[in-house]
Amino acid sequence: MQTRSMQTREAKKWVDRAIIAVLLLMGILMLMPFFWLFSMSFRPAAEAYKMPPSFFPPSFDLSNYQTVLESSVPFLKIYWNSLYVAVLVTIGQLVTCTLAAFAYARLRFPGRDSLFFVMLIGLMFPAQVTILPIYLGYAKLGLLNNPIGLVLMGLTSSFGVFMLRQFLRSQPKELEEAALMDGAGYFKIFWRISLPQLMPALGALAIITFTGAWNAYFQPRALITSQDSMTLPIAMDLLRGYMSQGNLSVVMAAMSMAILPVVLLFLVAQKMVIEGVTFSGIRA
Amino acid sequence: MATRRLSDLRKAQMQAGYVFVLPSILLYAAFVLAPVAITIILSFTYYDISFGADWVGFENYVRFLTEPRSLEIFWNTLRFAFLAVSFNVAVGLILALALNRAMPTFMLYFFRLAFFLPVIISAAFVAVVWSYFYSVDFGVINYYLAQLGIGQVPWLSSSKFAMTSIVIMDVWKNTGFFMIILIAALQGVPKPIMDAASMDGASAWRRFSRITLPFISPVLFFCIVFASIGALQVFESIMILTGGGPGDSTRSLSIYLVDEAFGSFELGYAAAVSVIMMILVLIITIIQIIGSRRWVRE
Repeated sequence: MQTRSMQTREAKKWVDRAIIAVLLLMGILMLMPFFWLFSMSFRPAAEAYKMPPSFFPPSFDLSNYQTVLESSVPFLKIYWNSLYVAVLVTIGQLVTCTLAAFAYARLRFPGRDSLFFVMLIGLMFPAQVTILPIYLGYAKLGLLNNPIGLVLMGLTSSFGVFMLRQFLRSQPKELEEAALMDGAGYFKIFWRISLPQLMPALGALAIITFTGAWNAYFQPRALITSQDSMTLPIAMDLLRGYMSQGNLSVVMAAMSMAILPVVLLFLVAQKMVIEGVTFSGIRA
Repeated sequence: MATRRLSDLRKAQMQAGYVFVLPSILLYAAFVLAPVAITIILSFTYYDISFGADWVGFENYVRFLTEPRSLEIFWNTLRFAFLAVSFNVAVGLILALALNRAMPTFMLYFFRLAFFLPVIISAAFVAVVWSYFYSVDFGVINYYLAQLGIGQVPWLSSSKFAMTSIVIMDVWKNTGFFMIILIAALQGVPKPIMDAASMDGASAWRRFSRITLPFISPVLFFCIVFASIGALQVFESIMILTGGGPGDSTRSLSIYLVDEAFGSFELGYAAAVSVIMMILVLIITIIQIIGSRRWVRE
């Protein structure tokens, strides 16, 4: 009896090891596209189509990166647009969503719950159902082909308001009541007490918003056609023009630079990114 | 005196409340509420940018429901959604079950990195890499298939394979999201019950189907709903891999909408397409609300 249970335990250990080995292999396979694109970005363009494909850079030749920066595509301008839009959208959402979340979670005023409900409905509308009027409106206002247009439409989000309100409601209220007794105004309470309480949630919201804006494709594609106003995801089509000329390595150099901020964010703040992104999924 | 102070306080609170919600409400009204309302109105019109709108009633919807082309695209979208949702959630569940065990921290970090990195990189970027992987003559995948003695597969250029190729990339990209959510759910399965079941000699399959599955089913249900809402809106991966082709074989509703709106400037018709998409998402959301109530009750 004793030996039999030891045998099964031994067998279980081997099964465990086999599963881990399979998982490791799959994990490496999952990362292959990334290995490949980084490795390709360092290869001389002439060797881009050489087989078998290599997943590790043969050398660290930076000339492809130089080619991207010197090409006719205004890559630095496009990169700047992406940064500009993502940073401003993130700051905007942090401000507008924090203010609203404080009011919905902590203040009492007529119409509060109906307003919050109307805001929540926004979670259900896909981007496809708002894009045409925004396009027509922007055409009238001269905001087409302007990164500011992308910033304006991203300055608030139902999700951000909802997430921060839920978080604030889970925090203790006593400090605020005490401050109110001492005659502090609501703005002071917001600034001194609620904002510090919200910090962890703000970090998560900032990460979600930044990566979301950095990755956005549908709306920029509808609203922007000129190279100088593009953001990186839509400019990739433009850069693919190089592929037809065989300069795949150059496209991959551009790609490496384009995904770098999000990859770095993930490497240093893995747990926070995962928690933020999965939480943003659990929203309904 | 005291009542006076109290009503002042209430008034101050009210003012503060409105001031604090004002920026988000204004922006929300301008960029969500008004556009949704306008889209719905637009969908009942023939809209010309220079001449304005003509009311046409349900004509746009009738056109969508009677044209073979739009019906094929509608069907494509549902087919993509069905395949992508099934595989994303199934693979995510298998990975979650495999990963839900004690392991050293560095390994956990590696697995999270490997399976979650594709989730947070835009499909617009990675689809460019995949389009090379899928290329017929120079593609990485066909190269390795050739090594195994399998002939060249026209991954993206044949209407027989194109949808499958897009689904494969979609699963690579998104399954990690469902994996992470399902791992969290699995960690909530009470260990004493599992231990008791294995003591009693219940097989692994029995433990899974009788204990684990019922326990995580609300989360599984959420994953299916969430995956469906995302899959119905699929846009950039198809746009970059095939642009909707060959023919219309991979065209989705989102791509059709953009083609009609910004290619043919059929804005009224495009609005009707987007309202139909909204209704699809709404139906799924309602199913979710009804379903989650039922789960909670049980």
